Amino acid sequence: MPVADSVTVRNTVAYAVEQAESAAREGQQPVSLHLVAVASTRAVDPDAQTELGQAKDLLDRIEVWLDEDLGTAPPSNLDVKLGVIGSDRYLFSPGDYADAILAYADEHSIERVVLDPEFNPGGTTPMLRPLEVELVRGDIEVETAPVERPARSTALARAATLPKYLTIFGASYLFYMLLSSYKPLDFLTGAITATIVTALLAPIAFSRQPSLTRIPRQLARLAIYVPYLLKEIAIANLEIAYVVLHPSLPIDPEMVELEAAIWGDGPVTTLANSITLTPGTLTVSVSEQAFDIHSLTGSAREDLFDGGLERAVRFVFYGREAAAIPSPRERGQGGDGTVESDIGDPEVADDD
Amino acid sequence: MTPTEWAIVALALVGAFFGGVASIGIVRLPDVYTRAHAASKSDTLGAVLSIAAAAFAIQTDLATIKAVFLLVFMFLTNPTAAHAIARAAQDQGIEPWTVGDEEGES
Repeated sequence: MPVADSVTVRNTVAYAVEQAESAAREGQQPVSLHLVAVASTRAVDPDAQTELGQAKDLLDRIEVWLDEDLGTAPPSNLDVKLGVIGSDRYLFSPGDYADAILAYADEHSIERVVLDPEFNPGGTTPMLRPLEVELVRGDIEVETAPVERPARSTALARAATLPKYLTIFGASYLFYMLLSSYKPLDFLTGAITATIVTALLAPIAFSRQPSLTRIPRQLARLAIYVPYLLKEIAIANLEIAYVVLHPSLPIDPEMVELEAAIWGDGPVTTLANSITLTPGTLTVSVSEQAFDIHSLTGSAREDLFDGGLERAVRFVFYGREAAAIPSPRERGQGGDGTVESDIGDPEVADDD
Repeated sequence: MTPTEWAIVALALVGAFFGGVASIGIVRLPDVYTRAHAASKSDTLGAVLSIAAAAFAIQTDLATIKAVFLLVFMFLTNPTAAHAIARAAQDQGIEPWTVGDEEGES
């Protein structure tokens, strides 16, 4: 098994040891388990000392793990070897790594390679075939260890629960009835439709548990937010109309970045859409909390970093206390860094 | 004409004005990002005002509710579409136009 530092290397070692141990207990013939760190640089390279040092650290740790996994009485016919291979040449692509591993396997008549699923030597570029594919050309059994790896994607929706079903069912039933003609039959078809919608959407809707106390409060604050947003939209449109119809087209576009102090899909989406709708700013891309925003005029940039919108969105989703976080300018963003002190009640502060 | 009718006419006219602004903006502005500004903002307001005029004009409860839903979805989808366009442009590596580029553009 080739080893390298990764989140799953501990579990993969445990798996390999378990496999080797059970094989050793079943038969009488000697079983040997080789755990090798694959070095990419040659030992004579000036950088090699760092890499070989890291490999040695890892192998020391693995030795401790082996003691844990094998316990006090390992089978007598199990032989575990630790080592570093590949330090006689430079390795670049997964193919080079496969060559080194296969050569080693040949030399020691190894029948089976266990791969750590997170072991990606030489990178995972789409141009190159991954290591698993490269290894297949050898006369050897290749297996990726069935270990759990931590999810690196965004959080999946929680398992469906009763409050979630009720929320989705209620929302879709209400929506259906609003659009219906209020005949008795509509109540029945609405219930059927809402049931189907609930069954389909429950596994993917709401990444968090819907709370029957939080949602109405958020909706109430949203009702305060909407008129404010409408006012901003009206101003935005008058500004755009002025700029577009002005004979000399007075624009000064620039791309700016905003590190917003909001978290989660809902708030970020709301802020991104609000930014797009309000004076002279357009959300181009969002990753986590970093917004790339294209601004049409200088005054639009000023408004953006004054943070009125950001504060209003925080107010909607987290309540009054959260609105008092300093504005982006006060957090040192947006150029000149002049500090203004307009922190206060959001409804008051937003009116400037 | 009744006040309601005046309101309908006013809404429709202002809506048409902003729709016109959006069209002129798309023609006059220099690059994809600035044009997305015109398309996302003026267009949204133009469409929303026109739908509001329609909602007043229809005057039956059900159709008005439907028109209000249309408004809400306009507000949700229009900025999202503009964002998608701008993001696609950014992913393509299109540099935003700045004042310094003025000579190069016509």
